[in-house]
Amino acid sequence: MAAYFFQRLLQMIPTLFGVILLVFLLFNWVGGDPAYVLAGKFSNPEDIANIRRQLGLDQPLYIQFGIFLRQVLTFDYGLSWSTQEPVSHIFLTRLGPSIALLLPMLILETLIGIAIALAVAYVRDSWIDRALTLTTTAAMSISLLIYIIVGQYFFAFVLGWFPVQGWANHGQSWVRYAVLPILLGLAVSIAPAIRLYRTFILEEMGQDYVRTARAKGLSEMRVMLVHVLRNASIPIITNVLSSLPGLLIGAFLLERFFSIPGIGREVIMAVERSDFPVIKAITVSVAIATMVFNLLADLAYQWVDPRVKLS
Amino acid sequence: MITDPTFSQRPKLILVLAPIRSLLRKPLLSLGVLMGLCLCAGVRAEALDPPANRVLRIASSTAETTLDPVGIQDLYSAKLASVLFEGVLTYDYLARPAKLVPLLAERMPDITDGGKTWIIHLKKNIRFAPDPAFKGKDRTVQASDLAFTLYRLLDPALHSPFSFLLEGKLLGLDELAKRARESKQPYDYKAKIPGIEVIDEWTLRLRLNAPDANFGHALAQPNLGVIAPEVVAFYGEQIGSHPVGTGPYFVKRWVRGSAMTLDRNPHYRPRPWDFDAGKDPASVKVVEEMRGKMIPAIPRIEIKIIPEAQSAWLAFRRGETDLIDLPSKLSPVALSHGKLNPDLVKQGIQHEIAVEPEIIGNYLNLQDPMVGGMDPAHIALRRAILMSSDDEAMIRVIRKGQAVRLSYPVPPGVLGHDAKYKSMLPYDPVAANALLDGYGFKRAADGFRRQPDGSPLVVRYWRTNEGESRDMEELAKRGIDQLHIRFEGHAVPFPDLLKAERSCQVMMRQFAWIADYPDGDDFMQLFYGPNIHANNVFCFQDAEWDRLYQESVALGPGEKRDQLYQKMARMVEMYGVMKISHARLHHELLQAKVMGFHISTIASVAEWPYLDLR
Repeated sequence: MAAYFFQRLLQMIPTLFGVILLVFLLFNWVGGDPAYVLAGKFSNPEDIANIRRQLGLDQPLYIQFGIFLRQVLTFDYGLSWSTQEPVSHIFLTRLGPSIALLLPMLILETLIGIAIALAVAYVRDSWIDRALTLTTTAAMSISLLIYIIVGQYFFAFVLGWFPVQGWANHGQSWVRYAVLPILLGLAVSIAPAIRLYRTFILEEMGQDYVRTARAKGLSEMRVMLVHVLRNASIPIITNVLSSLPGLLIGAFLLERFFSIPGIGREVIMAVERSDFPVIKAITVSVAIATMVFNLLADLAYQWVDPRVKLS
Repeated sequence: MITDPTFSQRPKLILVLAPIRSLLRKPLLSLGVLMGLCLCAGVRAEALDPPANRVLRIASSTAETTLDPVGIQDLYSAKLASVLFEGVLTYDYLARPAKLVPLLAERMPDITDGGKTWIIHLKKNIRFAPDPAFKGKDRTVQASDLAFTLYRLLDPALHSPFSFLLEGKLLGLDELAKRARESKQPYDYKAKIPGIEVIDEWTLRLRLNAPDANFGHALAQPNLGVIAPEVVAFYGEQIGSHPVGTGPYFVKRWVRGSAMTLDRNPHYRPRPWDFDAGKDPASVKVVEEMRGKMIPAIPRIEIKIIPEAQSAWLAFRRGETDLIDLPSKLSPVALSHGKLNPDLVKQGIQHEIAVEPEIIGNYLNLQDPMVGGMDPAHIALRRAILMSSDDEAMIRVIRKGQAVRLSYPVPPGVLGHDAKYKSMLPYDPVAANALLDGYGFKRAADGFRRQPDGSPLVVRYWRTNEGESRDMEELAKRGIDQLHIRFEGHAVPFPDLLKAERSCQVMMRQFAWIADYPDGDDFMQLFYGPNIHANNVFCFQDAEWDRLYQESVALGPGEKRDQLYQKMARMVEMYGVMKISHARLHHELLQAKVMGFHISTIASVAEWPYLDLR
């Protein structure tokens, strides 16, 4: 187990290096020269040269890459080019609202998704199963943007059940502001989750051990909740853990429409402002998080099913 | 030696903790004490917070960047800076066109030596907002603070986007900045220069390199809001997160890029609301409403960043915000034929409208190998291309009717505007084709025109990747197609476009310029030859034009300068440099309870301190 863990950690090094190199090259070739944006309306070649010198953009590419590498290793990405705020501070202060929005969404999506998937898998091919398949297909076909625009208009503006936008300010409860975005996000994410988990559960229900369990006279509840769910949980865990890095980039649209000061909105602003230190920090952090959560998923397999051998 | 600063506090901490420990042993008593504390906290919060009906709630579509005055380049941050900091001068709230008035200065500067020496007398006892940087001292503004502020704008380490306000203006200041840049040594704030001289605590003498009638506008910009050196030293590179000025408000709470609460500065000296309405009926109404009030009247302003137009509109309609700068995409929802919809009027919503102090139009690069040059054929080619721009369609389709047609390089509301000017470049594809035929741009067998020497002729239109610029390209293509000239669209990221533009590589593009200060000079300098590779994106250089411009700078606003501007505007059209097309309309909607609103003469100065709530 420990050997496997360290082997996977070692494998992460070249992958991470590749990601860093790719991000660096992309920003240098596609991103354009930010000095022209930062210099403002009245800039002259001297001003632009001065800014390039201060940002280190006049250095050879290998030196710039070395600086970037050091930033990643020390988790110190310096200051945002547009706001002069430390990038680490941006991360720390914007992560909270994003997690407050996405974590409940992920937990609810998983719990409700599993519960409904178990129920419809149990009554497979019944009218309930078919109706749900139809409903989830329809729900998946509608864009998140439509859910947000219609939901915000109807539930917040017309019915007045929630604030139209905003986030907790000095001691207010964030729950008041988070409920509508969470419900709208859930409306979009729950349908594919149900479909996916239903497939996992159906696959397990067709296995021999289920027939054996029933032959032993176990109750249907025990067969479904203990035997089937336990075995179906491996792909479910993979799915849940693989969506965790998404917490780092937030829900762009929800945060933007509901004015939630999360990391997703920060990414959009950074792109609009060509604020490369922020974009680079978030890109690399998401890559690291993806690798870490993949490793955690593999470790979780053995915890769920001791028969799984990690090698 | 004890170096831990908390060490000496530890015995005291034990003394404080002892009664708490004894309280914890008595749960009921603890509960009572806790409840009492909460109650006191609630009462205290109520005492500090103004009632909800005394809070002005504002929505902004863009987030602030920094609140360090020298680092600001976006309008929203500048607006914020304009209520947190104060400059020597400002603009009269109601005067149109703009009029400079003293703010931190006791009176308008004494200008002597043919306009080359400016003596500024500061008001006494102007206090900075309280801040830990002052270590409990009550700090008043002195002439040395103003000198520090002026020095700071040109500090190469800060690369201020608004350094142009002082560049080349004050004797010795540019040399000081150049020395720091070249030696890579820190900028010397203590160096004595002839251009900035502190005479006494309240008086500063400025010496200019040359007379400059517009120098007063520089002193009124939010970027030159006076800042104290110890605040800059205290916060270091985080100064942009700690704005400490003398303005009517200070930052009470701030969630970066999301929300901000501004409270009335307890050190602010209230000013009487005393402005001359002139003959403008809207201003007369505002003066009636605000008579006898003080500035600032509203104790608290809450600002929310709402980037999405739908969210901002619904929040305004639900009464969550009090002001909205109506985005053009929402104009069909709120307005019909430029007027507020009856249902909104019935709700008491107020509507203010103004033309943005800006110019927008297509331009051509005079150094471009295909369309550039000052020979008659290429001047005719450029004029024909500009005559294919359908400005009415641009206003109708892209601006959704929310713009006004312009043809003069100085927009309305800005000193030097000429409302009677008639353009010589109308939208006229027939005349444009005739012009091309006359100068030898003949059509070849493929139906497209060639240069008079038979070489290919292609118009390359540059734009960014944004949706609106795609629509503009489509409109430009439609015009060029009518001239039977090959058209190529070229989309690039914004930084690349700026880079290409500064190096005279952009052939054609739609260009926009919004006033940095409300004087025609801010627009005319765009065409000045020495500004090539800077603001002169047209790469236009003409000795006669440059001579007229230099003359206009020395003159300042007035009839004589207006005559020069007319000549210069005509030359811009005659050489086919740019066709001024339109300026957008600014619609501001206000809840019924808002009083005293009049759209500011310059976008970077906020109206908020001048308002009150019913």
